[in-house]
Amino acid sequence: MLSPLFWIPVLGAALVGFWPGGTAARSRSIAIAVATITLLWTFWLLSQFDISNPGMQFTEFIPWIEPLKLNYRLGVDGLSLPLLVINSLLTWLVIYSGNSQLTRPQFYYALILLVNAGVAGAFLSQNLLLFFLFYEIELIPFYLLIAVWGGKKREYAAMKFLLFTAISGFLILGAFLGMAWLSETPTFAYESLTTQKLPLNTQLILLTAIVVGFSIKIPLVPLHTWLPDAYTEASPGVAILLGGVLAKLGTYGLVRFGLALFPDAWATAAPGLAILGAVSAVYGALSAIAQKDIKRMVAYSSIGHMGYILLACAAATPLSLVGAVSQMVAHSLILAILFYLVGVIETKVGTRDLDLLNGLMSPMRGLPLTSGLLVLGGMASAGIPGLVGFIAEYLVLQGSFSTFPIPTLICVICSGLTAVYFVILINRTCFGKLDNNTAYYPKVQWQERTPALILAALILFLGIQPSWLVRWSEPTINALVASFPANSYQIASLSQNSGIHNQKTE
Amino acid sequence: MLQTPIKPETKLPPSTHEFAGVIHRLEAGGAMLPDTPENLMQIIGLYKAYAVPMDFYWRDLLYIAEREFLNPFPFFKYFLPKEYLELHNHYAGDDADLRIWQKGAATAHPELLAFMEKGETFKMPKLFHHLWHDRINMEFAEACMRAMLWHRGMGGKFDPYLDSDEYKANADRAIKAYFQGNPAMLGLYKLFPDMFLEQVRQLSYYSNLGLFWEVMAPVFFEMSDRYDSGDIKNVPDAMNFLVNGIFAVAGRPIYHHVYIRGEMYEIIPKSKGFMWLYEAALPYVEAVFYRTAPFRGTKSYNAQAKQVPDEQKDFHYGILYADVFPVGTAGIPPTLLMQDMLHFLPPYLVDYYSKHCRGEDDMLIQLGISFQRSMYNVTSAVIQALRQALLYPLDDSNPKHLQANRAFFEAQIDRFKRQEARLRDIQRQDYR
Repeated sequence: MLSPLFWIPVLGAALVGFWPGGTAARSRSIAIAVATITLLWTFWLLSQFDISNPGMQFTEFIPWIEPLKLNYRLGVDGLSLPLLVINSLLTWLVIYSGNSQLTRPQFYYALILLVNAGVAGAFLSQNLLLFFLFYEIELIPFYLLIAVWGGKKREYAAMKFLLFTAISGFLILGAFLGMAWLSETPTFAYESLTTQKLPLNTQLILLTAIVVGFSIKIPLVPLHTWLPDAYTEASPGVAILLGGVLAKLGTYGLVRFGLALFPDAWATAAPGLAILGAVSAVYGALSAIAQKDIKRMVAYSSIGHMGYILLACAAATPLSLVGAVSQMVAHSLILAILFYLVGVIETKVGTRDLDLLNGLMSPMRGLPLTSGLLVLGGMASAGIPGLVGFIAEYLVLQGSFSTFPIPTLICVICSGLTAVYFVILINRTCFGKLDNNTAYYPKVQWQERTPALILAALILFLGIQPSWLVRWSEPTINALVASFPANSYQIASLSQNSGIHNQKTE
Repeated sequence: MLQTPIKPETKLPPSTHEFAGVIHRLEAGGAMLPDTPENLMQIIGLYKAYAVPMDFYWRDLLYIAEREFLNPFPFFKYFLPKEYLELHNHYAGDDADLRIWQKGAATAHPELLAFMEKGETFKMPKLFHHLWHDRINMEFAEACMRAMLWHRGMGGKFDPYLDSDEYKANADRAIKAYFQGNPAMLGLYKLFPDMFLEQVRQLSYYSNLGLFWEVMAPVFFEMSDRYDSGDIKNVPDAMNFLVNGIFAVAGRPIYHHVYIRGEMYEIIPKSKGFMWLYEAALPYVEAVFYRTAPFRGTKSYNAQAKQVPDEQKDFHYGILYADVFPVGTAGIPPTLLMQDMLHFLPPYLVDYYSKHCRGEDDMLIQLGISFQRSMYNVTSAVIQALRQALLYPLDDSNPKHLQANRAFFEAQIDRFKRQEARLRDIQRQDYR
């Protein structure tokens, strides 16, 4: 059931890569076919998923390399399922929007499919080493995607990305090895790990390695410096995958391997993490306000939004964790639509400079639909009710307030600052008047509008029908929180919030 | 692509004006618009596309001035009765006073009738066409009329006459006749006599503009025919046809008659001797081509912001200055006219537009810019006609006379020095 999510794109990548005489159009159609099958498979999985079951479902086990205890063990639960869907969906959209003048199309689509396979594999892995394997598989395709099809400073950006991510992998591998070797029964199988019996200090060291490792990938301040370069230099499709999918691997890892495996150490570190989340949010928002390049603005907005997720994870109440998963999904959708639209604007207008862009809302000569959707995306990102961003942010803030009131309030302020820079962006880009000397932009074809329209529809739908966003992960998260050893503030927050939580989702 | 200026054949040294090239061209008998076949095609096509809605405008303007008059609830003022569709244009048809349009009939243009019947949708009663907004945007004609009314004082005797006792007496008779047997309205008139009087002044401008366009519609139809038959070969030909037309109809009367219960009331009688050129054409050019009112969508009327000039003579929002790129956006009145002209474009222009910019998607803007070019040509004709009427011929041998001509041209072109003027842009062929 789960293996195809990984193997279809892998085989698809081989097919695209080795298809003789693959033109851009042909490679794209093969890749679309593969991505469509993967997406349909994901939807089918979604329909078969038993929401009431908090544990792993559709598990698969094949012994592989016994001496290393590296086994092929897959499973999916409420935490990973929404992210798998996002992965398949965004990959499909990115391939769909691949342009026909692409250089080296076979290589490009093969890499995209490999990325898709690697991310799916990482979300599915129930073996730490297997997870690490998939985690590292991402590295090279993304490096190449940035370095080959990126902007002017692509080599610098790609190398920076590669180095940061490699260090991230190194730390995570170190932590995984430590977790397995130090526990009583050495194993890499996720479900049989017994890290909780380790001394707290050891746990804290391992947790630190995990947190720092994944924080690079998420990324969190101060480990974010690869992000603005990589996101900005990458082509729009690659940026969507970087922000929409790869960043989620970081947050997912944090919850799965940090929070779930080291609840005691996590409780100790939580206040610090909450502050780190708030700092990330403030830093992302303030940096975005200062930018002149709309893609960099969106990139920094991503750092800000990831800060909320860390805050929610630090609070670790059922509500805040549901909020964290929702925010992962919401951020993916919103970042994808924003990067996509920024890409359209750059292609048509030829610039991303706030000082040059103007009047794109103009119905005849501007890019009215693109601008309209950009306003929608900006509003969603800023947490305007009725859109998915609000749901996620509100869940996070409501869930975290009782535990960490000050960082939560700081995040509320950041939410306001997000509105500030998106209004700046929208004002300078969409409003105003066109420059009559340059405004002979090509028109946006219907095919180019489709991905943005699909994302906009999802953002709107999940904004007014949020139960479709949260229903998947609730039981898993409740079970996760219930398994934590009792400690005072969590019990308090549990009893307070579960009532509200249940009312809200009934 | 810049048009090489026509070599000055004058005996004067080259002008040092910012638009020296344009001034030399005017002195050589050319237009402000460069003479290229592409420009000619655009302006003639636009004359044709403009003339058809104009044929509706002038009929409806006269209908409102003469028949709707002071109707307090003029819900159906844009519904032209058959009588006005069949009203004979004085400059077309066999019974014309002066036959400008050689081939056409004096009644409404067949393309206009076809559009009124089917519109962009299908044949249905007029009311539904109106409600579905599948119609001629008559509001644009009214906006032009209101610009003329509001700017007033642009020379001529027509406007001062509206304040004379004679006019007031004429209007008074018509108002009383119109509201005869309606004590409520008569009582209102008693209480606020200026209220209806000002309305009648506005109606006189309806009539004025209607009579102006009654001339222009057949002129534009004729130019289109002549271009099709090859008689108009370049931009100066087109301009000269307009200059000659202006002189031919300069003396036509401007009047305001009202028909109440089968009786005709002369509010402004023909015998006052108001002439087409001085009382309609020149004020129209000044009010509509140069001044009009700031677009709500581009300027702030905020008094502190001082974006709108204090003096009406400094207004510069006419088609010669308008930014056409935001056409189709909220707050840009010319959109109404562009939309009207869109229905009646000749096929060669539709072909031409579909090959440029966004093709049919932004045709409204492309045709708007062509329209701007064509109105620069009309303004050129007006400037040449004024020069001919007030100053000296272009081939005069006396250098002093030529210098006077140049001073006149330079003074006219000075108005286009301001940043908003599109004279610079229309010199470039790639401004579209």
